[in-house]
Amino acid sequence: MKKNYYFLLAACLSLMLSQVVYSQEITVNGKVTEANSGDPIAGVNVIVKGTTNGTITDGDGEYSLKVDNGTLLVFSFIGYKNKEAAVTGSRLDIQLEEDITSLEEVVISGLASNIKRSNLANSVASISAKEIIGTTTPQTVDGALYGKFKGANIVSNSGAPGGGIAVKLRGITSITGSSQPLFIVDGVYVDNSSIASGLNVVSAAAAGGSSSNQDNPSNRIADLSPDDIETIEILKGASAASIYGSRSSAGVIVITTKKGTPGKTKIRLEQAVGQASILNPLGTRTFTEQRIRNTYFAPGDNETPQETAEREAAAAAEVLRFQNARDAGLIHDYEDELYGNKGLLLNTVLSASGGNDNTRYYGSFIRKDEEGIVKNTGYEKTSMRLNFSHDIVKNVNVALTSNYILSSADRGFFNNDNSGTTMGISYISTRPYTQLFADENGNYPNNPDAPSNFLQTRDLVTNREEVQRFIGSAKLEATVFQTDNMQLKFIGLAGLDSYTLKTTALFPRELQFQQDNNGTGGASIQGRTVLENRNLQAFLVHSFFPSSKLSFITQLGVLKLDFNRNTTLITATQLIGTQSNLDQASAINAEQTIQPEEDAGFFIQEEVNFSDQFIATIGLRADKSSNNGDVNKLFYYPKANLALNLHEFGFWGIDAVNSLKLRAAYGQAGRFATFGSKYTGFGSVIIDGQAGSLIGAQLGNQEVEPEKQSEIEAGFDIGVVNNRVMFDFTYYKKNVTDLLLSALVPTSTGYTTQIINGAELENQGIEMGLNVLAIDKPDLKYNSSLNFWFNRSEVTELRVPAFNTGAFGATLGTLRVEEGKSATQLVGIDPNNPDGVTKWGDAEPDFQLSWNNFITWKNFEFSFLWHWKEGAENVNLSTLLTDLNGTSPDFDDGDLDPSGQLQNGPYRLSQLGVSAEPFVEDASYIRLREVGVYYNLDDELLLNIFNGVFTGIRVGFSGYNLVNFFDYNSYDPEVSNFGGDGLSTGIEVTPFPSSKRYFFHLALEL
Amino acid sequence: MKKIFIYKNKLIALAIACMLFATGCEIDELDDPNNPSVDLIDDATLSELQNLITGVEAGMRTRLGTYYDDVGVIGREFYRFSGSDPRFTADLLGKGSSELDNNTFYITGPYAERYRVIKNTNFLLEAIDKTSAVISDAQKNYMRGYAKTIKAYQLLLNLNLLYQNGIRTNVSDPDNLGPFRTFEQSLDDIETLLNEAATELAGSEDEFIFSLSSGFAGFDDPAGFLQFNRAIAARVAIYQEDFTTALNYIDDSFYDLTGDLNVGPQHFYSTAGGDLTNPLFFPANASGETRVAHPSFVTDALPNDDRLSKVSARESAASLDNLNSNYDVMVYPSQSDNISIIRNEELILIYAEANARLGNTGPAVTAIDQIRSSHGLDPYTGGVAESDLINEILFQKRYSLFGEGHRWIDMRRYNKLNELPIDREGDDVWTQFPVPVTEAE
Repeated sequence: MKKNYYFLLAACLSLMLSQVVYSQEITVNGKVTEANSGDPIAGVNVIVKGTTNGTITDGDGEYSLKVDNGTLLVFSFIGYKNKEAAVTGSRLDIQLEEDITSLEEVVISGLASNIKRSNLANSVASISAKEIIGTTTPQTVDGALYGKFKGANIVSNSGAPGGGIAVKLRGITSITGSSQPLFIVDGVYVDNSSIASGLNVVSAAAAGGSSSNQDNPSNRIADLSPDDIETIEILKGASAASIYGSRSSAGVIVITTKKGTPGKTKIRLEQAVGQASILNPLGTRTFTEQRIRNTYFAPGDNETPQETAEREAAAAAEVLRFQNARDAGLIHDYEDELYGNKGLLLNTVLSASGGNDNTRYYGSFIRKDEEGIVKNTGYEKTSMRLNFSHDIVKNVNVALTSNYILSSADRGFFNNDNSGTTMGISYISTRPYTQLFADENGNYPNNPDAPSNFLQTRDLVTNREEVQRFIGSAKLEATVFQTDNMQLKFIGLAGLDSYTLKTTALFPRELQFQQDNNGTGGASIQGRTVLENRNLQAFLVHSFFPSSKLSFITQLGVLKLDFNRNTTLITATQLIGTQSNLDQASAINAEQTIQPEEDAGFFIQEEVNFSDQFIATIGLRADKSSNNGDVNKLFYYPKANLALNLHEFGFWGIDAVNSLKLRAAYGQAGRFATFGSKYTGFGSVIIDGQAGSLIGAQLGNQEVEPEKQSEIEAGFDIGVVNNRVMFDFTYYKKNVTDLLLSALVPTSTGYTTQIINGAELENQGIEMGLNVLAIDKPDLKYNSSLNFWFNRSEVTELRVPAFNTGAFGATLGTLRVEEGKSATQLVGIDPNNPDGVTKWGDAEPDFQLSWNNFITWKNFEFSFLWHWKEGAENVNLSTLLTDLNGTSPDFDDGDLDPSGQLQNGPYRLSQLGVSAEPFVEDASYIRLREVGVYYNLDDELLLNIFNGVFTGIRVGFSGYNLVNFFDYNSYDPEVSNFGGDGLSTGIEVTPFPSSKRYFFHLALEL
Repeated sequence: MKKIFIYKNKLIALAIACMLFATGCEIDELDDPNNPSVDLIDDATLSELQNLITGVEAGMRTRLGTYYDDVGVIGREFYRFSGSDPRFTADLLGKGSSELDNNTFYITGPYAERYRVIKNTNFLLEAIDKTSAVISDAQKNYMRGYAKTIKAYQLLLNLNLLYQNGIRTNVSDPDNLGPFRTFEQSLDDIETLLNEAATELAGSEDEFIFSLSSGFAGFDDPAGFLQFNRAIAARVAIYQEDFTTALNYIDDSFYDLTGDLNVGPQHFYSTAGGDLTNPLFFPANASGETRVAHPSFVTDALPNDDRLSKVSARESAASLDNLNSNYDVMVYPSQSDNISIIRNEELILIYAEANARLGNTGPAVTAIDQIRSSHGLDPYTGGVAESDLINEILFQKRYSLFGEGHRWIDMRRYNKLNELPIDREGDDVWTQFPVPVTEAE
């Protein structure tokens, strides 16, 4: 193999020959200003075309450069159209126009290089700060991505404060593990784990039909503040993500934080105040005497007279209970009681940025305090950031980023259980005429309808995640060598992501389900995860311009990544009195999970650009890792791509079409097996104070290898009407080979599962975007973009028998991995197919459409984002559980039974065990994701009123999920009982309901 | 140009350095940081053998609650009401067209856990053979006897669920599992294992060098454990309808006609940290998650039967899915109660059954009367034909071993499943569980 590298290297390097040209030089000075306002622009790149020779403008927009007379200079700055101008004297002033088309924006193309979007051969999505936070205040970074780019299926797991979102790029890419993308923030590999807090001890969710704990933890990317972000770039598939190697097959989300620009220090204070309220209240069933009798006391089929008498007596007692409550006016709207909190939302951002020619900085202090729609739930976060960059000498720059985060989320106690203790299960079991409120002494009555009184649970239980996190990086960028047409840069980067996550779950003894020999006599469950991820990366980037038409950029790099996660979970039960301290308990149990991982790799890439006509890239990444069966085996991930800008060719004669680019890209990427897949070991068990060893459920696989994804992507971008109308089309097809499966081994071996490379999966899809700058007048601008995308998956090969996964079995509807079928199909039993299962739906949407609009009129800004997801199905077990408890709001309606005989509740129950069809429900929706209206005070007013203290004042109103259309019979079709991992999306069991949010905004700038 | 060449060479050198770094940067093979590896069986210490022995005993309890729910619900002893899992009242009772699924927790859970314990006994057996620790041959045999007895018992529980589907009895090599044996062959294999164990337990030393939980108090020495082994063998023998042998095994067991009915080894439960609590315990009057007695348990009972204390009247009736009951199952009144594996009361009933089947009416009636009088009932006055006696024994067993996993199996042995009550039109009484999906051949 090694011979091949040398060959490749030699090929790359042989392209680097050049000659040095000498001619007469003059010094040119000038000022770069904004075309509309005339304001100077700092930080503009001024480069001699076809060379690496250049400078940047200072805080006043001024530059100075020694060049040959007649040389062509290129002026470029993010957000503005590039401009070329020839040097004709000692002064050259330039005006830059804002770029609405984003053709000039730079997009990452390698681990250490960027490329202009117009030359990009991949469909890389890029989201600007304006799109992230410009319309409304998102709860989390991943929550800010909905509908803003093509090719993603983003699902919020529940409405619990603190996040918990699954992002899947271009379909699912893994069955066993996370299909969540890799997050890179300023070069740092950032952890996005979801760490369970041990609620299962109480909920026993894993004791029934599913072994997953269903603890509904948040995912740790929630720690990042959207307000700090400059851009988010999304590498959706292997063709673009290949450079990130063995961790990138689910795509990569590259986040760049704000860095500051030279010039006067800008201080900005933004305050948002808002409210969260339940998105879609369902109401409750209206009870009558007859309904109580029919629902709860229907005669049995073979009743003895004694049984009949007992049943009648019980029915009479229950009816009396109802009548007493009704007559006393004590029929309650418990939905409103539990989910009706109007949560106060506060978001404060104080930021400062600025710098001079050598130094740039951005600092922020962000405070978020959000209440949930359930009392005693909420999310608080304090984040501080300092980004600093300094040119030590010309051509040597150091940049430091640091972000400290302190957050705390009170997430309530929801989702599935097998103990009737979660608030969701308890609520749906409770009849509205049952009395649950505490007396004046704070004593809660026991709930006769369920094992727990959810009002007591809400008021007394704590389920908190607290995080202290530091994310930082240090980067050194030095030009080692430079001539007019050649440059060699060294980039070294050290990154650190480290956090302590403290989970606290407290279930005091006085709870209905912990008192009187119930439960565990109280439980104090305290978890602590210490995470430390370190990465070291070093790159050499060689740029070479043999002529003004041709350029070569060569990159070499090495990487060393270390990941360490250590989780301890201590469960204290049989608590003493009202204590929650771990040692105030008679039973203490500890668990520890340590996950060390170590990767090393290298990377090489060559990019060739001929006159912006042909742009071609080839690259190779190689990785090895302690996660693999063979730790020192290198796995290779090649890539190659080509963009053809037809409009740049001489023969292009179609004036109506301003730009037309054809592009094609190929790449491979990988994903490791879940940590520990190769080990077979004994677990620890305790009986009567003695510890024992019992063989673990997993049969280790010493041969386990990463999943390998190959993606081919092709498309075109076309621009007409001065590029004001841009259309792009992308088709992709990606195959995951060696797909990791948690294969069920015959359980008579003593083992349950083995992780094997046992299947192949294909995803293909189409992404289309239309961006129209419909109106472009000085005081009225309207930019609208329409995105349309869909993905289809198929399990093309399965080397184990088809299996159900990610739900609760075929009776209720489940995901099923089956050769030749969609990887996300939802199947279940069917009376017409007694020997098999029938496909009742698919968790993958038929298509998604989003429509994002920005309108500026005089000092007003108006923006809104619609998002339509069509044709995805969920397994809705909340409705089934309300039916079983006779509490469904639509229990007595009659629109479901095809024969028209049964009411909805009895009809759905009649199908239980007969057909899974009623539980697999359409989860399509159309929603107004974001809407915002802002007013910017004009300069004159600022001068007059505030004496010019403020350079900008902005007020506005915004909303999130304010308008929703869906038929789905629950709180929100966007839900996942099992969180974001693997296949199991869209399974619903009494979640924390989603909320809609609105905000008032005030921003001051000085 | 020269400068360029020098530069180029430098660059090549750097590139090579990069690769050497990556290829040369050796990554260490990490041992599992969380659990001991299976390799420990290659030369286990005495304490590691003890760990495996404890692991076997502790593992017997995992998912045992599901096993008892399966047998008890299908045997119409009780209903398992669950607010969060409808399949206890749908699939297990055959509601409508529901059937037992081969990939649902009620079979996959307990089935896998029993084989997990069996795997541990196989590791234990292998470790005993390979150990270089100083352990006498007698003690090694005791360990083998322990391992094989538990292994046989675990196989029996799975066979109880799968019945005529049979089970695999030889599973020592995960890559080459033995075949599914028929029901009869499986019982024979289990008996063989028990008899091997009995031989190994009949050594000359008085005590085990290993310890068991207090659930085995009185049965944690070679002689006591052998009696336990023989008790299980007696149960197997009546399943085999080999009643003479059953009586022989009863003789060697801890059977005591007039002794304490509750004597016998137990699964240990406690609320101590890391330990398991009794999975069959639910508090009285619970709603949502509960076990309630099948109404016929109370209505069919004879007056004055003190075994009615195994259920307790509820403050309000429990109902779910068109099923109702006024009584909670109260076999285990607290969550730290132990669960008997086999106890003297069952042995007395086995003794009665074997004698009845062998035509020894006198001893059979004596045993029946012993049970009746212990529970406040008058002596048996019914017919003494074999079928009368068997009906009486099944009736007494229903009450004596209520909720302890017998009624379904006993009714099945006598082809009387059709006598079990049907509560809803269309419900079914299942004969056996399907082979779990993972075992498909």
